[in-house]
Amino acid sequence: MLAVYCWLLCLYPGSCRHEFGEEMTSVFREARSKLPPTLAAKISFYRSEFCGLLSGALRAHFDRLFGPGIPFPRFYMQPQFRFPRATVFLMLVILAGVVLTIEKARTIVNGPHQVTSAWTLPPWFIFLFPALACAAVAAVWGLLFALRRTGMHRLDGIQTSPVNSNPTLPGKTGLS
Amino acid sequence: METFALTEPVLLVLLSLAEQPRHGYAILKDVESISGGRVLLSTGTLYGALQRLLDNGWIERVEESETPRDRRTYKLTSRGRRNLQMEIERMRHLTKVAALRTARKEA
Repeated sequence: MLAVYCWLLCLYPGSCRHEFGEEMTSVFREARSKLPPTLAAKISFYRSEFCGLLSGALRAHFDRLFGPGIPFPRFYMQPQFRFPRATVFLMLVILAGVVLTIEKARTIVNGPHQVTSAWTLPPWFIFLFPALACAAVAAVWGLLFALRRTGMHRLDGIQTSPVNSNPTLPGKTGLS
Repeated sequence: METFALTEPVLLVLLSLAEQPRHGYAILKDVESISGGRVLLSTGTLYGALQRLLDNGWIERVEESETPRDRRTYKLTSRGRRNLQMEIERMRHLTKVAALRTARKEA
């Protein structure tokens, strides 16, 4: 895994890699050595590290190309202003569906004579319908999941008890 | 004057360095401790934040001749401390308003 990590570090711009590469590798090695022995902890750690590296590399390239115009915007890395991943995935699926539909419609409009009759459909075509049904179910599930993440999940976190009189105390009502 | 709000990882990194100078891994562990285990920074996120803070002059490296290159220590600058205090003031105001509004709604 260390080799994969070092390989992913190559995605960073050369200057960043030169400045922080050794340190990042050292911290990764140290954090990895102190992981709990459970498989779940390891998977979570590697997922977080590799996603962090990829997004960090992207960000570093963006900064190098366009400059750090906005130093620390709130919409960056801020959980409550970030789309849940499920929503982004669902939006991509919908976009792909729309693009495919437009392409199909264009094909039909341009060449109606090429549309095959239902009797001459290839045998594998019958499997398309269950696949489409599964895709529809997955899309509905994704939609419900996204709604739960954006609505219900955050409603659960709202504090309903009387608020602490000392607002300086840290807690989940701060920037969480 | 820099009045923009900080992101949570950046704020936690600043809070960690406000106490004492720390190196990368110590910052990771301290951020985890400050947030009660809720925020686990990856090295990519940590060093992205550190680079931006260095570029903006909010933190600086502690120059020690015997420190190995892979274990450099960072500390808060006076500018960083000032901006952190401003951010805490902003949050204090926000929580005060939030407390008033939620209390009014519950009444």
